[in-house]
Amino acid sequence: MSVIFLLIAASTLVAVVFLAAFIRAVRTGQYDDDRSPAVRMLHDPPPNANYDLTTDPAPRERDSNQLDR
Amino acid sequence: MSVRELTKVNCYHCGEPCTEDRRLHDSKDFCCQGCEVVYDLLNEAGLCDYYALEERPGVKQRSSVDEQRTELFDLAEVRERIVEFSEAGISRVRFHVPQMHCSSCIWLLENLHRMEPAILRSRVSFTQKELTITFREERFPLGQLVKLLRKIGYGPQLTAAKDQVDKGVPHMVYVRLGVAGFIFGNTMMFSFPEYLGANTEAGLRTGFQWLTILFSLPVVFFLSTEFFRSAWAGIRSRTVNIDQPIALGIVALWTRSLWEVGTGIGPGYFDSLAGLLFFLLIGRWYQAYTYRALRFDRALEDFLPLVVIRKTAAGEVATKVADLVPGDHIIIRDHELVPVDAVLRSGVGHIDNSFITGEPLPSRKEVGETVKAGGRQRGALIELEVLRTFAESRLKQLWAEQVSLQDRPVMPRLIDTVARRFTIAVLLIALGAALYWWGKDPAQVWPVVTAVLIVACPCALALSMPFAYGHTIRLMGKKGLFLRDAEVVERMAHVDTVVFDKTGTLTAREAHEVRWYARTANSAPVTSPRVQYNGMRDHWVDLLSDEQQALVQALARNSTHPLSAVLTQELRSDGTTTNGDQCSRSVSRSPIQWDAAPPGRHTDTLITDVHETAGAGIQGMVRSHAVRIGSSEFCGGAEMMRTNGDAHVHVTIDGVWLGHFAIRKRARTGIAAAVAQLRTRLRVALLTGDAQVDTELSDAFHGAQVRTHCSPVDKAQSIIHEQQQGHRVLMVGDGLNDAGALAQSDVGITVTETTAALTPASDAILDAEAVPLLPTFLLQARRARRIVLASLGISLCYNLVGVAFAVSGHLTPLFAAILMPLSSVSVVAFVTVGVMLAAHRSAKLT
Repeated sequence: MSVIFLLIAASTLVAVVFLAAFIRAVRTGQYDDDRSPAVRMLHDPPPNANYDLTTDPAPRERDSNQLDR
Repeated sequence: MSVRELTKVNCYHCGEPCTEDRRLHDSKDFCCQGCEVVYDLLNEAGLCDYYALEERPGVKQRSSVDEQRTELFDLAEVRERIVEFSEAGISRVRFHVPQMHCSSCIWLLENLHRMEPAILRSRVSFTQKELTITFREERFPLGQLVKLLRKIGYGPQLTAAKDQVDKGVPHMVYVRLGVAGFIFGNTMMFSFPEYLGANTEAGLRTGFQWLTILFSLPVVFFLSTEFFRSAWAGIRSRTVNIDQPIALGIVALWTRSLWEVGTGIGPGYFDSLAGLLFFLLIGRWYQAYTYRALRFDRALEDFLPLVVIRKTAAGEVATKVADLVPGDHIIIRDHELVPVDAVLRSGVGHIDNSFITGEPLPSRKEVGETVKAGGRQRGALIELEVLRTFAESRLKQLWAEQVSLQDRPVMPRLIDTVARRFTIAVLLIALGAALYWWGKDPAQVWPVVTAVLIVACPCALALSMPFAYGHTIRLMGKKGLFLRDAEVVERMAHVDTVVFDKTGTLTAREAHEVRWYARTANSAPVTSPRVQYNGMRDHWVDLLSDEQQALVQALARNSTHPLSAVLTQELRSDGTTTNGDQCSRSVSRSPIQWDAAPPGRHTDTLITDVHETAGAGIQGMVRSHAVRIGSSEFCGGAEMMRTNGDAHVHVTIDGVWLGHFAIRKRARTGIAAAVAQLRTRLRVALLTGDAQVDTELSDAFHGAQVRTHCSPVDKAQSIIHEQQQGHRVLMVGDGLNDAGALAQSDVGITVTETTAALTPASDAILDAEAVPLLPTFLLQARRARRIVLASLGISLCYNLVGVAFAVSGHLTPLFAAILMPLSSVSVVAFVTVGVMLAAHRSAKLT
């Protein structure tokens, strides 16, 4: 039954990793804005209105905002 | 007279009701040209999803300070502040855009690259109201970017003050909360075997106990530091605050638990310790939640433009206000603030001093007259010669006068009073228990004393206030009152006197009311300004006909006088007005767009021989009628009794004097009712810098203190006088002339028409539309305080039960571990439900 301490140690390590990730997320400012990410993910990409079948073989990639860091 | 019925139509872009300037475009209604222009812009760029995401997401364009100036973005200091990097022709700027308020705004601002190809990327941080744009500056200068943003209604705001909005909740609050939750959860898990009585193996038991000790270290040495620091500060300054019993509890818990584990008696109370810190930190987090995008503090520099245009030999140059020296020539355009004391050199000045002194109507300045700093020009462009530097100007003195007054009286906070009594009570009980057990069984003294200190949990106390007031702040914010922090709620609950400013607070800033008073049949001047209804109709000549209104409007359009601009907006060129009262009256809600292109429907009116006489009026031939509008002498009319500070514009057509318009600033709707409601339990007063108070307001304040001609210092002194008599004063104001009074009063509220506008320093910001709700807000504050008192009662019950167990020596870790979270959660739940219910009921009253 004393193996439980080994298990506790292992799971605590995993938990600490998550805690560290949380702290890192807070400090890099991910929680500073809690409103716009929720809204942003619902935005649709724009319709390819300037797609001309006769001259353009492929749709123009105009939505550079989607390319995030 | 034809009256066109206007159905209730709202603008497709901004949602405001379409009144006089309604336009139909693309089968949608718009309230003004500004909104229509934005719609067109978005339509062309294929960005009409803006309207799909939210209904009427636009904000109506109201011109404000610095709207036209983009030169200031070329200044080094400004660029330094907003440009994050600039290299290889690509720059990234960060703007403060407080106008964004919904998901459509976010969507539009992040899709700017579709409007302008030089924009590469834009990102919004909604809670800070910031917009970061990466763009090709070499192809698209910063000034143009700003113009584009202004065109769509999201012009960035910039002030002279040092730093912008604070960054919201500090990161450490979240970090601490995260660690507290982590430790709380884990410690509870380690304590489970103890609760369930399964801890029989000695090795396992000690193992778990040492684990809990290990986990308690960060609790005491990392999470509790702010409580210890605050408690120590309180001891040093000989005051009792809420953190002292908390610190005492933490120390008692920890030392007792260490002793228990060390001597092998028991498992200790580490789980309660972790839980205590977790709940306390939740309370602290909720307390840190304030309105981050609004600014409640102001320095004088905030009110001024950063730059003015200075005329030099080399042309027009943007110069910082601080750099102006006597002798410089500066150019001030319509709606711009005069930043320094100066002498008018060219043009006609119509200076609006309402922000500074409270006078509602602009005063006229001729060439050679002095214009004081802080006035706003309403009219065409003027050129001024600087008389004094900003540091020596009247504005600076005014500010300094107000700031040097005495401090506002300190109001004891409920939480401090409670903390004091609580601590004393707990210490007395501990002492009493110690003495009792000393006599009965000395071995129990120390366990009992520490048990009392442990279980007397100020946790519920410390939680009820942040949550009750925090919810109240949120609910008030939804209705239009934005508080600086939780303490303001409590101060509002204690208020017994409400003092109002008039100009801009009880009257609208930009909206005017125009009444027509026709001359009577026997040409005698009308003695009473009020419209006579019953039986006097035969004394009135018919109202201005549609044709006549069109003539007046066509002529007024050519005048540079600000009153003419009001008339131009009020009268329609096709001769219709909005109501059929015998007194023709219309109300304008939009500010006068001086430089905007006139709407294109009237250009076929033939106007010739226009001649404007400064100080008198304007005359001309309109559609072959001789029309004169202006002062009574100019129009050959009788001088009417001027009441309540109205401005009179007389009208003469074809040599016949017809009557006059009376123009004044519109009073906000619902004020009289609100004041009446306030008067049922509070005292009210009206202090104004204006010379007169109109009848509607003087009726509402009948019997209460009304003072006119108040200087800013007069207002502040008045409030000091009230406070010395023991009253708690709430001041509602809006301009710079209220700044001193607002700072002096127990609660200072500024009224603003747009949250993006500048307001003097205050405890709360009130939306102009919500001014009539003031009685409801005060009621909500009082109710919130009562709920807090009730919750204190509840937590007292829990404490009594716990202390009873502690004193009798029956406190167990399990009991403590249950009692504390239970009391905290139930108190928070009670407070939350209570405040929501109270708000719901107060809302029903209005």
